[in-house]
Formats: sequence, C-alpha cells, structure tokens
Amino acid sequence: MAVRHLEAEVRQERGVVVLDLRGEINGFAQEALDAAYAEAESNDPEVILLNFEGVDYINSTGIALIVGLLAKARLSKRRLVAYGLSDHYVEIFEITRLSDFMGVFPDEESAMSATSVS
Amino acid sequence: MDQRPSDSRERNGAWRVLRELSVPSEAGNERLAMEKVADAVRDLDIRGENLERLKTAVAEATMNAMEHGNKYRAESFVLIEVSASDTQLSVKITDEGSGPPDFHAETPDLEAKLKGMQTPRGWGLFLIKNMVDDMEVTGDEHHHTVELILNLDGRTEGGT
Repeated sequence: MAVRHLEAEVRQERGVVVLDLRGEINGFAQEALDAAYAEAESNDPEVILLNFEGVDYINSTGIALIVGLLAKARLSKRRLVAYGLSDHYVEIFEITRLSDFMGVFPDEESAMSATSVS
Repeated sequence: MDQRPSDSRERNGAWRVLRELSVPSEAGNERLAMEKVADAVRDLDIRGENLERLKTAVAEATMNAMEHGNKYRAESFVLIEVSASDTQLSVKITDEGSGPPDFHAETPDLEAKLKGMQTPRGWGLFLIKNMVDDMEVTGDEHHHTVELILNLDGRTEGGT
C-alpha cells in the first residue's frame, strides 16, 4: 500500500489562514506540515484553521506533529482550530485532549463562526 | 507463526485462527497491516467506530514492532495472527526484538508536552490501550508480542 504523502496548501479565507491538508499525517508529513505552518504564520494571523477533510490517516507520530504545531501556536498566542476530522479522529483528539486545547468543528463554516472572524 | 509467548486460547476456550500474515518493516506498512486485519475480521461484522478503533490499535502496535523491535529493517517481518472465539477477537503482533518490549512507558500528558516537559511523541501505547478492551505485551530472547483483545459482545451492531 503506497503511502499518501501529505500535501498542504495555505489560503486566506475571510481574514483567517486555512491549511488545507490532504493525505496521511505520519512521520513523512513533518516537512510539508512545518513548511505550510511557517507560511501560515508569515501572515501573522490570530487564528489558523487546520482543514482535515482530505486527511484519511493520522498515526501517533502525526499526533505528535500536531502537538508540535499547537505548541508553536500557543507560544505565539495564536489559536489553532481543527475541522473536517472523521468521527474516529474526533474521538482520538478527545482521548489525547487535543480538543481541550484547540477547537474542533465539523466543517469550515462552523469553525469560521466559532472563531468570530467571519 | 507458532510458539507465541502469549496464547489467549488457553484463557478463553475454543479459538479459530482467521488469518496469519506478515509485513516487512518499512515505514508506512502499518496501514497495510491494519487493512489486512480489517479484511480478516470482515465476517465478524465489526463495523463503524469499533472497526476504526481496531485498525488504529493494529497500526500503532505494528508501527512499534517495525520501529523498536525490527529497527525498520525491511528484511525483518512483523508477524500478525488474527483469531477469534465466540466472544473475543485476538490480534497478536510479533517482532524480532529481544529483551524487554520497548514501549514509551510514560503516560502522555498534553499539557506537559505543550510546555516542553515531555516529548511530543509517546502516544502509541496510550492510543492502543484506549482503542481495545485489553492488551498484553510479552517477550523472550527472540520476539516481542503485543496481543490486542477486543470483546465481540455488543460490537456487531456498528456505531460506538
């Protein structure tokens, strides 16, 4: 089974920076994820949305990468918000307590509304 | 695939082997393992979130076996045996490691990780424990085996 390496694109949407993630978040994803996050930060946004709609697999190494992004965001006093996770990964975000430190929403609209920047 | 250090059949009566398989220890092959196990249990009608939990546990245990037991040597295989009784599913995941099984023993604390007091990693064992009903880690001088146990009662309707 071929690994679907992560692709990450950055876009601005209604004053918010969105990271559109596609593929697998595993050990191979670090470079793409870090590069996209750095690009997102370059706009100095208050909120960064992580769009997981195109992500079909996250392993424990991927969780560690997301923890790393969250640590960076907190250090620079940005809010990191997630949306588009499958029910299974919502559960994993709850078990790991990631959802205690970053908002988790079903879709972009609800994430935008909750961040009060729409 | 015989001579496993751990054998739940003795604990729980009549077991049948559903599948024996192996995957080379190459990064990313944990997904191959989890899909093969999902295929092996399709007749048990484990669906929805319960199947996703099993797949995550299998993937994490396989990844640990490839990384720590087999040191990502492609010529070293992770052996997986899937078996079931009337009430339980067992997935045994065996690597070629020796000595004590190498799992990150520290319970992950996200707040500590965010403060840099714990490494961001170390989620594998924690995830496995939360995904299955029981797990057992055994080892000898030639192998480590992680056995995942899923109770089948009430799990055939899908959902949570």
